[in-house]
Parts: sequence; structure tokens; C-alpha cells
Amino acid sequence: MRTIHYKIKRFDGKREWYQDYQLQYEKGKTILWALTAIREQLDPTLVFTSACRHAICGSCAIKVNGKSFLACKTSLDEVLETFKSDYLVFEPLSNFEVIKDLAIAWEPKMEKMKQVKPWLIPSNKGSVERGFIQSEDDFHEISSPTDCILCGVCTSECNQLAVNDGTYLDPFILNRAYRFSVDSRDCAPEEHIRPVYENELWKCIHCMQCISSCPKGIPLTDEIAYLRQESIKMGEVNNQGAKHAFAFYDDVRNKGRLNETMLPIKTDGLLKTATTKIPFALRMIKKGKINPFHMPKAIEGIKGVKEIYKYAEEVKHS
Amino acid sequence: MFKYDVVVVGAGGAGMMAALYASKDPSLKVAVLSKIFPTRSHTGAAQGGINAAMGYRDNSDSAEKHFRDTVKGSDFLADQDAVEFFTTHMPELISELDYMGVPFSRDKNGKVAQRPFGGASSPRTCYSADKTGHVILHALYEQCLKNNVRFHNDWYLLSLAVDNGHFEGLVAMDIRTAKVHAIQAKAVVIATGGYGRVYWSRTTNAINMTGDGTAACFDIGIPLKDPEFVQFHPTGLASTGVLLSEACRGEGGYLINKDGERFMARYAPDKMELGPRDLVSRSIETEIKEGRGFGDGMGSYVLMDLRHLGEEKIMERLPQVRELAMDFEGVDLVKEPVPIRPSCHYMMGGIHIVDHKTCATPIEGIHAAGECCAVSIHGANRLGGNSVADVVLFGKYAGQGAQQSAKKRSFTSTAKLELEKIKWTEKFDLIRKKKTGINMFEIRDKMAETMWYNVGIFRTEDEMKQAYYTIEDLLEQFKDAFIGDSSESYNMAFINYVEISNLLKLAKAVTLGAINRKESRGSHSRGDYPTRDDENFLKHTLIYNEGEYYRLEYSPVTITKYQPEERKY
Ligand SMILES: Cc1cc2nc3c(=O)[nH]c(=O)nc-3n(C[C@H](O)[C@H](O)[C@H](O)COP(=O)(O)OP(=O)(O)OC[C@H]3O[C@@H](n4cnc5c(N)ncnc54)[C@H](O)[C@@H]3O)c2cc1C
Ligand code: FES
Repeated sequence: MRTIHYKIKRFDGKREWYQDYQLQYEKGKTILWALTAIREQLDPTLVFTSACRHAICGSCAIKVNGKSFLACKTSLDEVLETFKSDYLVFEPLSNFEVIKDLAIAWEPKMEKMKQVKPWLIPSNKGSVERGFIQSEDDFHEISSPTDCILCGVCTSECNQLAVNDGTYLDPFILNRAYRFSVDSRDCAPEEHIRPVYENELWKCIHCMQCISSCPKGIPLTDEIAYLRQESIKMGEVNNQGAKHAFAFYDDVRNKGRLNETMLPIKTDGLLKTATTKIPFALRMIKKGKINPFHMPKAIEGIKGVKEIYKYAEEVKHS
Repeated sequence: MFKYDVVVVGAGGAGMMAALYASKDPSLKVAVLSKIFPTRSHTGAAQGGINAAMGYRDNSDSAEKHFRDTVKGSDFLADQDAVEFFTTHMPELISELDYMGVPFSRDKNGKVAQRPFGGASSPRTCYSADKTGHVILHALYEQCLKNNVRFHNDWYLLSLAVDNGHFEGLVAMDIRTAKVHAIQAKAVVIATGGYGRVYWSRTTNAINMTGDGTAACFDIGIPLKDPEFVQFHPTGLASTGVLLSEACRGEGGYLINKDGERFMARYAPDKMELGPRDLVSRSIETEIKEGRGFGDGMGSYVLMDLRHLGEEKIMERLPQVRELAMDFEGVDLVKEPVPIRPSCHYMMGGIHIVDHKTCATPIEGIHAAGECCAVSIHGANRLGGNSVADVVLFGKYAGQGAQQSAKKRSFTSTAKLELEKIKWTEKFDLIRKKKTGINMFEIRDKMAETMWYNVGIFRTEDEMKQAYYTIEDLLEQFKDAFIGDSSESYNMAFINYVEISNLLKLAKAVTLGAINRKESRGSHSRGDYPTRDDENFLKHTLIYNEGEYYRLEYSPVTITKYQPEERKY
């Protein structure tokens, strides 16, 4: 009989530890199935959150072997196949405050989200009594961004948030800002966009992790590119946001911390380039030589890494 | 002690709508309690849509037609004054949701798009692709953020305190700290959703749909109305109950038993798989019962085969369904048939509402809205798309009703409230420190199995009586339940314990209501009484909880316009 070994990160408010569990292998199960089986058969003290079990409520995201997944939607077989191992490590999402075991707190994130006014600021073309007229095309603009289920996978995977002091807005917050700024029924896009560039919009490092992990396939990085374009249009070349372009490299230098997935840009050459050439790079951006609005397509695995390399090279040679 | 004018329990469609309306009066202090983070609520699972006679797609549609369809769908058990109120006010509510920012799909003219739905004589279901509930839930949450609505997330309602008919407040546990709090309030809106989890693994409902608010009202003497009416959906995924859309049958999927037969030929030779939901559900269960299913016990199933449609058609017409089957059952429809089985989908019954305009219950200050209660607009059977509508519309009126109650009432004494708090604090301590006993999850699974087989899709006197004794026995065993977690904070096992206790109470009421309704009406289908009996049963069941004894009463159905006639489609 095949046994799958689970190592789960526990936290009781004070103490942190890893605990081992074993379950018999069963075909066609999900990560959420494993969590539930562990809790109901082996250890009722294990805390995790889930509700709908079909990828719509956003409760169940966790990290498995360092990568963030929606537990209910992720097949155990695929995970075992991907990691080529029967040993799995479950941890709470990164970049969140942990309450207990795998349960995280969303309230601080919602406070942060409020900055972008995540609600419709209705234009005077509509009314409570009659609603709005909105074209099919205009609906399509907001269709994909309203798929967001607030699962937190993008935040957990975000390499900027990993080094940032907390000012940088989580990808799902950028998505909300985008969603309202492009809604034809909204009369004040700048109200949603201004807080975005005032909060380090330019620090997105194009690592593409958010978009390649989003369980709903929301084109987050295209949205970021759009928000950047809009903020430049709003005359924000000289504002704080634009000055922070490439400041990510500063963060890395100051904190000396970098996620493994970002290893490719941890080459000496690039770091040197970044530190010596930031002012230059900024001038280049203004002249349109390197394009911070261009985001590589989300390509998973090694191809994605190559893209990042390419981008780093562009910066270096500009 | 916390003190609010209005407390809303539940942050789904009904709860958030109620909170938004109750807090329109700035002089009132309002708070929302939710056992899960608001946007996790099950309203988000609704895909199909929300009914309102906008007349955008078919200008001959009207609130009147929506009224008639709903009454007919209810098998004439709905209260017609409430239904008329509901269908008349729905169109303005859709505009209001639009104004709040709900991203509705649009038609060519830029109006909210509408689609046809089962039981509707005109295409009147407004929708947003296949995520209608999700976008409504998020828009309501955004409005709550905008209006600074106060949330207590991860707070669990334990009980309501009522002394001599006077509502004092409620007792809740802050799940994170496991501290039991008394909350004094002038008015409360219960909006805790359905209780499909009495069938545990055989439901399309989220795992937290355990009827806590319904049980809390039941415990303080508010009757449970029509609990025997349970809607089943024929195509839940076999292992989880996750809903596969009706479209699979619509597009021509076959239902196959263990012998490879398209068994619907036996039950509906003309319509085959396209027979109505209840007939298809009953047919599948008959196959399983008679040994022609796959697997065994609660894990039994039949297969739905779509392969003959070909990859192209599947990809074009049923991409979502394919993805669901792949993600949640590990099956690619293009290559293999998918295991399915009927699943409990919706509870028509719930907390007894006495005034649909304020959603008041018999106890002053206590209001309820959403799936937890019965207004009743669904009667014996709910139409698709009428629930999300019910939830937001009556959420609004419950919020207004609670606002009026809060203005009318003053804070009462808190003697009973404090006793309740002590009771729960002691109970928590006792239960978590218990070292041995019967595994609570086993009790839960036994309950589900009993309910599924004996008070499920087929019902007969003998089997239901058997179930009744089993549930009573399980309630007895539950007194010795063991939760296996002594944690002083974030003790989810204790929360599950209270949830299971609520489910058991409600399961007993469903069974009692079903045994005593000696007819077949809407979703309640009895082998021993196969026809509707208006003479004796055109009335609502009301079950009162008097300690461990349940008392049964009946109350008349309000009929204003449509006299009962045979329900034929
Ligand atoms: C898969 C699926 C698809 C559906 N599709 C449709 C559809 O297309 N159209 C349609 O009209 N209907 C549909 N329905 C039905 C409809 O979605 C529900 O009936 C409706 O959304 C219920 O809303 P609610 O506000 O009453 O409760 P919910 O949205 O379930 O909210 C309940 C709230 O109560 C809180 N709560 C519960 N217990 C406690 C407690 N003890 N303490 C504190 N808080 C508590 C929860 O945290 C939650 O916030 C569907 C249902 C399912 C299962
Ligand atoms: S449980 Fe709802 S998204 Fe996974």
C-alpha cells in the first residue's frame, strides 16, 4: 500500500512546529480531501478553512511544497506527479498574518483594500431606480476581474510583497482598483487609480507569479500595465510612484532577502546594474526605451524564468 | 458586554443586504456576525441567476406571470400575498443591485441580460455568466466596506436569549479566542442560510450549511415551518455532491447503470434523461436501491456518459462542466463517463415568518431572511433563480423591519442573557475537556446515511419511522460525543460539535414533518401516498420544540388569486 506523508506547519498563537501525518494513497482526490481526512481521522485539532469545496468561496488556499494552491481545486495526483515525491509539506499562505495552523486573517488586507475605494462610484448616467445601460463590450471589460474570489494565492506568491514593508498593494487589490477603474458605470477612475500609484505600483517586478498561480486565470499583470499607463496619463511621471521604479532592487539590497523563484535576477551583474543604473533607467522609461508597461506573457516553468532573464537583460543593456 | 441596536447574524446575500438597510439609520449601532469571512458565504455558489420580471428579453413578461409561475412551482403551498409582494418588488431590486455595481451580463441594448429557467413561462433569470451569486455577494460586501458596516468575522452564534417572550440578545463565540460573549440587542436578523448538511456528503451545499440560526430560533420556541420540503438535484458529483449543471442532460448526456443500460427507458421512455428533476432523481435512486448502481452504501453512484457528444461539442457547450468533473471527480468527460448521484440542494422550510413585509418571527425583535427561514414563497418546491432573489429582497425588508423593531423597543434586562453566557462557557469547558466518548463525526455520518435512505428522495411511513427512532437514538448518543480537541482557542472541533447538534435537531424535525404529511406535494414524494391531498394537507406544517418533545401544528396557506390545480408542465 502506498502511503503519502504530510508535514503540516502548526501554530497555536505562540508556538510553531511541523507535524507529520500519514494517509493511505487514494486515487482521484484533492488536497482538501487530504486535509479533511487528516482532521477527521487523525487529528481534530488541526485548523484550516474551507467552505464551498468547488473553487468559488476562496477559503481553502494553502502552500504545498512552497507553492500556493486552492486546496479544493488541486488534484493530489497532480501534486504528487509535479513534485515527484510522496512527501508533501503544507503551510499557510505567505504574506498573511497567521491565526492558527493554516488559517489566516483577512481583515488587515481588507483595511488595506479600502484605500482603492473598492466599490462603484456611480456615474450620473444611472440611478437606483433604473440601474444602468452598459454595453456587452463594457461588461466584458469587467467580466474577468470580477472572477476574483479573494483566495490570496496571488498575494502569497508575490515576490514584491515578500520584501516590501507592506505598502505595496496586493495583486488582488490592484485587481479591484482595475475592475472599478474600467467599469463604464464608474465616474471616478482616478479615485481608484491614485491610491494605486501612491502605493508603489511601480515596484511590481514582472515575476509573473501572481498570474501563473491565479486559480481563476485573471490577467493581473496586464492590469498592472494598464494601471501604470493610466497613471502616467494622469501626469504622474514625477510622482513618488514613478520614482520608485526598480526600487525593488533597493529592497533586495537593503534587506538582503530574495525568494528562490527570483534567483535568476540575483546575479551580481544585475544587482550592480540595478543599483548604478536606476536613475538612468528611469530616464529611459520616460523616453520609452524600456517598457515597464509591457508584461511578458504568463509562461509557467522554465520558460517563465527565461522571460524574466530577458527582461533583466533589457534593463541591463538600456 | 457588547451592546448593539441591531445584530445581523450571517453575511451571505440576506445578511449583508439586511445590514446595509438596518444601518441606513445612522442613529442605530449595527453589527454583523459571521462564522466565516463574508465573501465565503454560500450565496457565492449560485451560478444560474436571479429571477425578476424585467421584461427586457420578453416584453410580455410581468410580475404577475412571475407570481403565477412561483405559486404553481410551489405546488400551491406558497403564501400568495408574500409571493405577489416578492415578484412585484424584484425588478426594482435588480436595478438597485446594478447601481451597487453588480456586473450583470448584458443584452444587445445594454440592459441586464435574461435567460430561460425551469418552471418559468418567460426568460426572466438575470445573470452574470455562470457566477451570479458570486458577483452579488462581492458587490454587497463592497457596499458594506463603503458604508463601514461593522463585522465580527469568525464569530459563531450559539443561542438567543428570550425571557418570557422578551428578546434580550444573543450569545456567540469568538472562534479565534474561543471566548463566549453576550451581546445585548434590541433586534436581530437571523440570516444563517440553509441546512442541506443534514444529508452531509450527499449535498451541493457548503460544509458550513448547518442551520445554526434555524436551530437557535427553534430552541427558543419559534416554530419550524414546512421542514419536510427538501429539494434534490439529480446530478451531484458522486464523491463530493458538487453540482453539475442541468445542461449536461440538456445537451444529451446518457445515464447508465452497472449493466450498461440507459435505465431512464424504464421510467420515462419518451423524455428519457430529459425528464423533470424529481423523476430523474427517483429513477437513479431506484437503480441503486435495486442493485444496479456502482459502488456501495453512501458511495454508490450511476454514470453520466457524454462521450457520444464528441470532444468538440463538449468543449464548446460544456466547458465548465468538464472542468468541474476534472477538478472534483478526477474524470475527463471527453474520455470517461462521470460518476453522479442526486444531492440535497435546497431547504424550502425554515424559521416561521409571520409578516413578510418586515420578516418578523413570532417573537418581537427577532427577524429572519434567506434560506434559513420560510416566508413562505417557495412552498413545497423552489424554482431555480428564486432563491438568490428571495435572499436579497427579503434581506432588505428584514433589515428595515429590524430597524423599526430597534426603534420601538428598548434594551431589556439581561438576566437571561447572562445565564445563557454562563451556560455556554461551562459547556465549552466540559466538552473540550472530555477524554473519551463517541466520535462525533461517526454520529454525523450515521445521521446523513439515515436521512438519505429513509427521508430522502423516496419516503414511506415505515422507513421514516425507522429514521425517526435512529435520529432519537443518535441524539441520545450525542450526549456522550467526544470532540478530541481540548484547545482553549480556535477550537474548530467544538464549533463542529455545536453544528452537528443543530443538524440532529433539524433532521428530527424534517423527519417528523415528513411522516405526518400523508400526501405527495412538490419535493415531498411518498410511495404510500402518491398524490396531492388538498383537502387534508393544503396547509403549512409548524413544529415546536418543547424540550426533547416536538409538537406539531398546522397553519393555513394564504391563497389570494390562484386556486390549486394540478401541477403539470
Ligand atoms: C451549488 C448551488 C447553486 C445554487 N444556485 C442558485 C441559483 O442559480 N439561483 C438561485 O436563486 N439560488 C441558487 N442556490 C441557492 C442559493 O444560493 C441559496 O439559497 C442562498 O444563496 C442562501 O443565501 P443566504 O443569505 O440565506 O445564506 P448564505 O449565503 O448561505 O449565508 C449564510 C451566512 O450565515 C453565516 N452563519 C451561519 N451560521 C452561523 C452562526 N452560527 N454564527 C454566525 N454566522 C453564521 C455564514 O457565515 C454565512 O455568512 C444555489 C445553491 C447551491 C448550493
Ligand atoms: S473550499 Fe471554497 S474555494 Fe476551496
